[in-house]
Amino acid sequence: MATPVIMPKQGQSVESCILTGWNKKKGDPVKKGDILFSYETDKASFDAEAETEGILLETFFSDGDDIPVLTNVAVIGQPGETIEEYRPGQSVVKPAPESKEATDDKEGSSSTLQTSFSEPIQAGESTLQKISPRARMLAEEKGVPIKKIKGSGPGGRIIERDIHQYLLEHPRMTPLAGATGEREGLAASNKGTGLAGAVTAEDLVKATDFDSGGYVDQPLTNIRKIIAKSMHASLQNSAQLTHHMGADVSRLLEARKKVKVLQEKGYLYNITLNDMICLSVIRALQKHPAANAHFLGDSIRYFSPVHLGLAVDTDRGLMVPALRNASELSLTELSQELKKMADQCRNGSINPDLLAPTSASFTVSNLGNYGVEMFTPVINLPQVAILGVNTITYRPRPLKEYTMEFVPYIGLSLTYDHRAIDGGPATKFLAEIRNELETFNEKIE
Amino acid sequence: MYDIGIIGGGPAGYVAAERAGQQGLTVALFELKAVGGVCLNEGCIPTKTLLFSAKILDYTHHAEKYGIKATDAVADFPAMMSRKDKIVRKLVAAVENKMKHNKVEVVKAKVTILDNKKGIVTLEADGKTFECRNILICTGSEAAIPPVKGLTEANYLTSSEILSLNHVPASLAIIGGGVIGLEFANLFNVLGSKVTVIEMMSEILPGMDQDISQLLRKECSKKGIDFHLKARVTEIHHKNIHLEKEGQSIEIKADEILVSTGRKPVVTGFGLENIGVEMLKGGIRIDENCRTNIPNVYAAGDVTGFSMLAHTASREGEVAVNHIAGKPDRMRYKAIPGVVYTNPEVAVVGLTEEEALNKGIGIEVQKLPMTYAGRFVAENEMFQGLCKIIVGKQYHEILGVHMIGNPSSEMIFGAAMAIEAQLTLKELKEIVFPHPTVSEIFKEGAFLF
Repeated sequence: MATPVIMPKQGQSVESCILTGWNKKKGDPVKKGDILFSYETDKASFDAEAETEGILLETFFSDGDDIPVLTNVAVIGQPGETIEEYRPGQSVVKPAPESKEATDDKEGSSSTLQTSFSEPIQAGESTLQKISPRARMLAEEKGVPIKKIKGSGPGGRIIERDIHQYLLEHPRMTPLAGATGEREGLAASNKGTGLAGAVTAEDLVKATDFDSGGYVDQPLTNIRKIIAKSMHASLQNSAQLTHHMGADVSRLLEARKKVKVLQEKGYLYNITLNDMICLSVIRALQKHPAANAHFLGDSIRYFSPVHLGLAVDTDRGLMVPALRNASELSLTELSQELKKMADQCRNGSINPDLLAPTSASFTVSNLGNYGVEMFTPVINLPQVAILGVNTITYRPRPLKEYTMEFVPYIGLSLTYDHRAIDGGPATKFLAEIRNELETFNEKIE
Repeated sequence: MYDIGIIGGGPAGYVAAERAGQQGLTVALFELKAVGGVCLNEGCIPTKTLLFSAKILDYTHHAEKYGIKATDAVADFPAMMSRKDKIVRKLVAAVENKMKHNKVEVVKAKVTILDNKKGIVTLEADGKTFECRNILICTGSEAAIPPVKGLTEANYLTSSEILSLNHVPASLAIIGGGVIGLEFANLFNVLGSKVTVIEMMSEILPGMDQDISQLLRKECSKKGIDFHLKARVTEIHHKNIHLEKEGQSIEIKADEILVSTGRKPVVTGFGLENIGVEMLKGGIRIDENCRTNIPNVYAAGDVTGFSMLAHTASREGEVAVNHIAGKPDRMRYKAIPGVVYTNPEVAVVGLTEEEALNKGIGIEVQKLPMTYAGRFVAENEMFQGLCKIIVGKQYHEILGVHMIGNPSSEMIFGAAMAIEAQLTLKELKEIVFPHPTVSEIFKEGAFLF
């Protein structure tokens, strides 16, 4: 029996997703577990797997379409089965061929798919390429990657002249380089290592590294748009400033050393410095609830548990998932949960609801691994503060007269929203974090 | 003051000198012996001259298959040798003329590198000092002699001495079944010697395509050459060679012993130690511009310790000169042909099946007998030959071509061009080949994929 495939609903706040690419074509056989297509919410990317076996009878959408969740996207079944009953209605924002029409359409329609954080995204419209038949023929003959060319004809249409210009500016490609580049979306670098400077397959670079004018205009990904918008809004709409302080982390380093020794004997928990720092921060927050809060304009919401946000660097961009009720966890539990959360971000399986800035009550951003000594983290509004964790440096400390010892100091950069907290309490909170770190006494066994 | 001082006048050195002269650079070329190096004087050219004589004789042995009666054909060894000497003299003179023509100062003396200060290398030769902005080291290689008990006392020959024999030995044992060993095996087999080849590895021509190597060995066996594979020489007593082969001891008697177990770079005796050049596996390490770790010191040819082919050497010399002259160029080693001038000839270029397997490269392979080309059928009565074409799995780019059958040595450049230019089967199919030629085998092969 034919079975429809729906656009999954990823989290409560997600109303629509953008289809970013089909892995199967109409007519392809499909096995259970095969990846059918990839899609993006405004916060993360996902793959949709087939849940039944059969032939992919029909696909209702193409790349770039913004599709309401739970809408039928495709049908899997046996050849000859009818699919019409599954065809979705026309309430979908299709990317329009002309940007002007798209704008009109958007204005005229009240059923925009706006989530709390994003505009409906007209993906695809900027990737449609207009090209004259002569230019296309020449490009195909010479193996010129059309996608890399800016058209100089009317309305940005690529004309023959543009291909000739491209050929003048770019070195010859070997046939293999041409074939590889086209299939794998790679482009010629400006330096060929082949015969008489020809660009070989080995010289190809990612297409984004280059363009005919020495630059490339890359449309923003969804996640980039979100980051851009929220970071800009944070700096525009709050009164944030940063205090820096250092803490002696001798005890943390001792504890970390002990973890490593225990691990060799079969200890299961890889408790990192970051885990210990997060625990210390949670404890400091419990003593200073003023920092564990949301600034709501005419009120401040103080949280009883700590919902800890952790900045995670991923291939897709920065993500800040929240570990809900982190204050109820032991060190080992915290360690495991943070690790799980970071992995989910990196493989795209994180629940999008946890990425909402309202999910966390306070955020930690740790750049210590990258050697950063001091920075001014940007608050995830409506949170009222964020702690930047820096690298460990060794500082001299007087031991007795004329004798110094070197102590491992970690840099702490606390950005707070002066609308919600004053400098005095913020400093006391920061000092409390230092105190927690310097007196770290968690048993590791 | 010279733009380039070139140490060694072989295929790397004299070609580099010629190219540098053509570009207007001032060049001093240091060569103690005759220009042309091992290749021209005691390698490529003399052996190919003798092998051609042998090929003519070889054809007369089977002439009746082609409708010709040539029963009385015999080799005149002294005449062959004097013709070889004449050809070498002629070509050496030609190289000397090229040097003159390109205003290369040839210094026929032993040279020593004294120092490299403030970007100037000082050389000493014939009691005079020469200052050079750059030097190119092309000192080549010499036969590597394995440490075998009794070998030194056995009065063995290397590829150099064997070219000066004044008679055909009744029996010849060849230690080392590589290219040099196989060519001399062919030569003396045709001339009437009882030839035995001893090889340590499980197949002759190690590193080459195994199908091709095996086929060549079978052809050579048919002609009466004996092979001992997986055999290690344990001791030599007078002219008796003791072998250990898969646990058994074997003794071979031979009038002459040729040692052809490879060659090693010549890196001593010319002051290399005075400038601190970085080495790699016994040779001089160079980058893709043939430059050493010292910015104004370059090296090309066998002295680098790899590839060890005259045509590689010449190309490296050119790359070095171009880099010195500021012209963009770089060395690529993916499409360097290799030829074994036996009868039948072997010619190969690019990736072998074994390499692809080891490196995990996805390939497709077609093997076809050379008899797919009509011209080959017309000219070869008893031999099928083999052409093996290796292409990339995804894009069908030509990665390797391996052939046995005449005249594959003259055709292999076509495959080298395809690999160097990264042609795929699609382009190869569009190229027009002359008919009837053996080279059509490439096109036949392309359509089998």
